[in-house]
Amino acid sequence: MVREREEWGLLMAATERPEGRGLGDRLYDGIFHNRVWRSIFRSGYPNTPRNQMLAVATNVFLHLHPTRIHRTHVKITHTFCLGGLSFFLFLGLTITGVLLMFYYVPSVDRAYQDILALDTDVRFGQLMRNIHRWMAHGMVLTVLMHMMRVFYTGAYKPPREFNWVVGVVLLVLTLLLSFTGYLLPWDQLAIWAITVGTNMVGSAPILGEPNRFILVGGFQVGQAALIRFYTLHVIGLPLLAAVFMTVHFWRIRRDGGLARPL
Amino acid sequence: MAVATPAAQAQPASQAVRGRQRRQREEELLVWPDLVFVEFISAVVFTITFTILAYMVDALLLDRADPAVTPNPSKAPWYFLNLQELLLHMHPALAGVIVPTVALIALGAIPYFDTDNEGQGEWLSTARAWPITAVGAVVGAAGTTLLILYDAGKHVQVYEMIANGTWSPDPDAPGFVGWPSWLGWATNLRAIQNDISWPEELTRVPLGSKVLRTDLLGLPAIDLDVNLPAVLVEQIIPVTMMIGLPLLLSFVAARVGLARTKRDHMILQFSGFIATFLTLTIIGTYFRGAGLELVPYTIFVGDH
Ligand code: HEM
Repeated sequence: MVREREEWGLLMAATERPEGRGLGDRLYDGIFHNRVWRSIFRSGYPNTPRNQMLAVATNVFLHLHPTRIHRTHVKITHTFCLGGLSFFLFLGLTITGVLLMFYYVPSVDRAYQDILALDTDVRFGQLMRNIHRWMAHGMVLTVLMHMMRVFYTGAYKPPREFNWVVGVVLLVLTLLLSFTGYLLPWDQLAIWAITVGTNMVGSAPILGEPNRFILVGGFQVGQAALIRFYTLHVIGLPLLAAVFMTVHFWRIRRDGGLARPL
Repeated sequence: MAVATPAAQAQPASQAVRGRQRRQREEELLVWPDLVFVEFISAVVFTITFTILAYMVDALLLDRADPAVTPNPSKAPWYFLNLQELLLHMHPALAGVIVPTVALIALGAIPYFDTDNEGQGEWLSTARAWPITAVGAVVGAAGTTLLILYDAGKHVQVYEMIANGTWSPDPDAPGFVGWPSWLGWATNLRAIQNDISWPEELTRVPLGSKVLRTDLLGLPAIDLDVNLPAVLVEQIIPVTMMIGLPLLLSFVAARVGLARTKRDHMILQFSGFIATFLTLTIIGTYFRGAGLELVPYTIFVGDH
């Protein structure tokens, strides 16, 4: 405890005491004190605690974070970064997904050919498709594991009840995102998996069959289903997921950061 | 982040309060650089990992979709194979819609059941949390496996193996000892419906012409004959199991003093749920082959 306090003091002293200008300082000034950098970030590299907090608080991307967090929450074993990883995978999927869209036409006549071409003709096409595929599987896994970590650390307890519910919605959206993407390659794996999956919806009492019909856009999985799944996959569900993620992250801050022992 | 409660705001900032706030500050780190760097490093590590993985393992692409050729087996994506597995053991409306809906609602409702603050913010920090997790997980996994083995009639095979003293008993061999015929109803779940000669009054309960008399209201009469043994096998028994067995687990755990608080029961049930979910997914993925028979299976070998 005392030692930690001393380290903290040293840190403050080291970063806030002015020093003579060495090579490092001149390099630093060259990078961080020119007009271009200043026009973008308005301040130099944040090297004092005050500036570091300001950097986080005033940057549109970083300010999803609080400015300070509790020591125990930086320990990898507290969260295993699983929520962060889910978000990272979501971003990665967005980037690779946009690249795949350049080559893919959601029509039953072309879809399979396009994927085949992606695998054989397009430079890095197979790699893009593989990354997208593995990240999609990975995201389902990380979201499930994130849910388990939140549960076993008791982090759903008041005041975080609602954020847990937002999380459950995110879980459903993640599964739906993956499920809608599954149809797009238009191979045997795709259409039969979606047939089996949508038939499950159809088995619900009373509303099942009408719902299945709306989802698939017909009696069997065909062009109507493909364009529905495609639209949901590339715009509808990602937008919804982005909205819920924003709420999720915002609530983490509103609820006072990550849960910690009382 | 000291959450300022109204009570705390109302109090004069005494020496003690200020002391506590200072101590909390000292426990905190700045997001920049400490957290931002951890995030940056893990983003780099995972970008590299996924690129290497994608470089080494190709995503599957089978033949072009053909609605006329149904592959055997046809499987949903892996994260829905748990539901597809349930489908084999109960009414499709239960497995495909009702069970997942109820499960999701129950999942979302966890924080509204378990509301006290005990055990927050640390891995399994309440007393007995680890043993409870272990018991829930083992019971969930083993229970699910046993039920599936039962429904596949594996106990009959085991019985015949033991009774005949050989690994692969031949039913046509002289002196073959088979599963006792008076236990025919216990070969699997469906046998309760098929192996017992139910009286006609039960297999065709005319709800339409006896109970729901829509014709009395001037509406067309509905034709609704209910097959009670089928309802028993497809709905009543599965629902009783899915609700009853977890309740039984909680009851026993409470009796032996393992689960005492709400959090204890929550951990027990959640662990059981996750284990069941995983077991169903694994069996659905790796142990359902052609005709969805219970045999080892993988999509990566063989011809499709
Ligand atoms: C797309 C899916 C999701 C994303 C991107 C996401 C992201 C995050 C992130 C980045 C955090 C910060 C801490 C951490 O990394 O663990 C977090 C915390 C949290 N998440 Fe999620 N999450 C998702 C799904 C879920 C699910 C399925 C649940 C639960 C059912 C959930 C419940 C929570 C709760 C209650 C917290 C606060 C934890 C605490 O206070 O320690 N989230 N989430």
